[in-house]
Amino acid sequence: MGKDDTTKKRRKLMTSSTNENVKQSPEDVYKKVVDFEEAEARQRPAEKDAALFKKICQDVRQLFADIAELKEIGTEEAREKINAKRIEASLQLVALKKVNRLEKVRTRAGRDALHKEKQRVDSTHLLLQNLLYEADHLNKEVTKCLQFKSKDEEIELVPVEDFYKNAPADVSRPDITKTDEHQLQLARLEWELRQRRELSGACSELVASKERVAAAIAAARSRLDALAPHLKDVLKATKPLQECLALRLDEKREETKLAALLPPPLFLLYANASAYSDALGTKNLVVGISGDEDEARRFDQTSNTEVELVVSNDSDSDQDGNDEDRREKKKRHHRSAKISKEEKAEAKKKEALKKHPLHVLVTVKIPDGTALNLVFSYLTHLKIIVVRYTMHHPKPITGVSAADVLDGDCVLNELYTGDTGSDSPHPATTYLLKAAGILDGFPQFIPDIGKPYIWAQRMCGLDFMTAVGDEQKDLKNIQLCPSLSVATVENFIFTLQKRLKARVELMKELQDLECGKITPTKEMSSIRLSGSLTQWQAVSWSEYSQSPSTAFLISESLVTPDDMLYRAIITRQSAKLVALVSLCSDYPKKSPLFSLTLHYNGTYDNATSDDIRDIERLVNTDWQKSNMCSLTNQITKLLTCLDVLLETMGTQEFPPDKVMLLLVRGRNRLKPYKFLKQGTGMFVQV
Amino acid sequence: MLDKILYNTVLCQTFSPCGKYLVAGNIYGQLAVFDLDCILNPNTELLTPGYNSPKHIHKIESSSQICSLASTDRFLIVGSVNEIYGWTWKAILNSKLSKPSWTIKIKSESFIEQCDINCLWLSEDSEKLYAGCGDNKVYVFNLEDGSLMQTLAGHENYVHCIHGHDRQLISAGEDGLVLLWDIRTGKAQNEIEPHKNSKVARPDIGKWVGAAALGDDWIVCGGGPRLALWHLRSLDAVTVFDIPDHGIHIASFLDDCILAGGTAKHLYQLTYSGDIRVELPVSSTTVYSAIVRTNPNKVLAIAGSSPDIDLCTTFNYRDQVLHFR
Repeated sequence: MGKDDTTKKRRKLMTSSTNENVKQSPEDVYKKVVDFEEAEARQRPAEKDAALFKKICQDVRQLFADIAELKEIGTEEAREKINAKRIEASLQLVALKKVNRLEKVRTRAGRDALHKEKQRVDSTHLLLQNLLYEADHLNKEVTKCLQFKSKDEEIELVPVEDFYKNAPADVSRPDITKTDEHQLQLARLEWELRQRRELSGACSELVASKERVAAAIAAARSRLDALAPHLKDVLKATKPLQECLALRLDEKREETKLAALLPPPLFLLYANASAYSDALGTKNLVVGISGDEDEARRFDQTSNTEVELVVSNDSDSDQDGNDEDRREKKKRHHRSAKISKEEKAEAKKKEALKKHPLHVLVTVKIPDGTALNLVFSYLTHLKIIVVRYTMHHPKPITGVSAADVLDGDCVLNELYTGDTGSDSPHPATTYLLKAAGILDGFPQFIPDIGKPYIWAQRMCGLDFMTAVGDEQKDLKNIQLCPSLSVATVENFIFTLQKRLKARVELMKELQDLECGKITPTKEMSSIRLSGSLTQWQAVSWSEYSQSPSTAFLISESLVTPDDMLYRAIITRQSAKLVALVSLCSDYPKKSPLFSLTLHYNGTYDNATSDDIRDIERLVNTDWQKSNMCSLTNQITKLLTCLDVLLETMGTQEFPPDKVMLLLVRGRNRLKPYKFLKQGTGMFVQV
Repeated sequence: MLDKILYNTVLCQTFSPCGKYLVAGNIYGQLAVFDLDCILNPNTELLTPGYNSPKHIHKIESSSQICSLASTDRFLIVGSVNEIYGWTWKAILNSKLSKPSWTIKIKSESFIEQCDINCLWLSEDSEKLYAGCGDNKVYVFNLEDGSLMQTLAGHENYVHCIHGHDRQLISAGEDGLVLLWDIRTGKAQNEIEPHKNSKVARPDIGKWVGAAALGDDWIVCGGGPRLALWHLRSLDAVTVFDIPDHGIHIASFLDDCILAGGTAKHLYQLTYSGDIRVELPVSSTTVYSAIVRTNPNKVLAIAGSSPDIDLCTTFNYRDQVLHFR
């Protein structure tokens, strides 16, 4: 059935093609055939042709098989059949060829199409590459633009608010610049330029005026210099008159001349102290200068040249060291090797601790004639002030502990809180000593050179507190503070006078106490004191701190080793009261503190007996800052308290002899320690 | 001048009814209020260095010493000199102390003579206030209106301590007498004179009796004479306690023990048979006040002649030290 279809078709095709061939020229025909076949190939679906191809192959195979079969039969009929079959097979082959051709055409068409597509893709790809490259380039340009830095950004401009406030409207043009950032920048730059021009103009003007002034100063100075010889002549002329009138003007002048040679800190002290000396009179304060004038002059000159060299100081000092070494070596060649090291160290020490050749003497006096002589010296290398002192007493002091009280050391100890003068107040001292090759700490030299009290530094206008934390360089030239010096000198004089007065009073009291003499105050004079002070002597800190009665005061750090410590023993018949007394150097501002131990039928102190604690409370805390109250007063109080305590015990040994309202009162069984001045006086509980 | 607070002596203490606060009174007329919550359960984050200092220190107007304290649900009762004050607890917890809610004055016989309210004791129903006073008498006040209900006179010197139990009141005095009173009649039923008993007398310290407490069958008292346990009916000294003290100021019953203290380095807990159960080291030279609270938690506060107050939560060792300064 299918076979018939295809054959018919073939035929039809053949006929149509032959018709065409007939009509046209052979070339044309060929082309037409090709065109026709191409069209046919386009129209016919390839799958159908594939199926057709398979079918034709099948048929041909069948026909061949049939022919082979018929050949074996070999009859006439078979031969005829063979012929028919042959024809059929040939036709089939023709059809097969056609199909094959169509397929070829189709393949070529497909290949052409593929090629075309490929070319298109290639060209598109190329285009894309171009575009990408272009985009990259543009990006680079953009970043370049973004990274562009204009020079104007480095210029420090006036802040925008100030700019709008100060700049004239024609520069600022707020209507444009408020909206346009760029215009704003331009306007600000313009304003800046204008202002800078003005300022530079002003600067040059000022420089010119400064030069003018400098010239004027130079002129004035030369005139003044010319004056000096004249003045000297005038002075010479006044000398006879001075001698006639016995004036001390020259001496003063000499001293002032000397003062000019003083190092700045000592000069400040001298100036302020002598001013106070004039104001307070020589009865209170005497100021002077001592030392070798010539040496001071020499020192002044060398230090002046040194100042110029100070800039390259560090390298210089290194060189100096080398020079010294070299010199040392030379010396060693000449002399024996024995001297060198120790002497060198000694010399170094001397150099480091060198004092300025001039000293300022200050003597503070109080009306009764006791005076403290202070010698202020300046350590030129360490740049601190040290003080030495001597006491002057109008009368010799009897009594050991009393004399201690007026010892210079003791008087100046903690004149201001915490100022013991036991180490340098200058933070750089340790460094400077180390740099000079001295390993010992500064405190070891204090006994030789004097004490570096903080008040001494402040009196000379040296305030190290502000210098703390600065670099070493700055420490070379610490600023002197004149106002500090003025304030401190005044304060020091009055504080020291007060301290001296207090110490003289205390010394008298202690003299009395050491003799066991107690002078009761007026209001207590009616009471008979039965106990007596049998011993008063100074004790050491170790002895003081070992007593259990003082543990409380020490633990509260109310007593420190810097305080003056004494032991008083009060006895009455078989009872013995030991009182350890601590006097703070600020006495009488702070009260002396008593710690008591009673020996009577056992040993009692404040930790084991409330009675002792009550007495301590009364003696230690009832301290008013008035002239009436003193150490003696406290001891009187202590004596009465002891009497009251013993008499309230109700023993045979101590019959009550005082008027007491109640022997004991309250759950704490308080004894009537307090004296009430009513009638002949009586004792009540606090 | 030395601050006198270093020589502070605390004579009395009391707990607030809520148990949160401890109030202590000293000889300078100051009342210190400690916040126990804060001290016993410290919040480590909020802990400041002064956490063991008083929350407030009030000074009473007369500045005379505060001898005794007692607390009811509404009031803190303060016994000072000549006067008993009552403040509401709210007023005490304010940072500034207002005027007292009420005041009871005790007339002193002469101008100079002053009457300390040495000891306060509240009846179990909190209606009556017993005050052992410096004028040798024990006064009984009605807490409703502050009126004087009874005066128990019998001592020849001032009263150190009073304590009541089961219709009986015991009072100890400087005269060495321990008196037993019938609360209803106000008459002295019995008396003990410990200094006349050779087993307990200590003549070198004195005859005064500083503390006495009443139990079901027992009396414990001591002072100048040794601390001793007396049988309530036979009035015999059954046990004499051998503790190294120089005077007893604290004696009370605590559970099945006796709590005792005074001028000694320790506060003692003793069994009835005389054995020492606990020795608590104390900060004070002399203990004048040791109070116990069991609710909401166990606290024993010990104060005396020291600015420090010892606090124990187990009764066995010193936990914390409060500073009244």
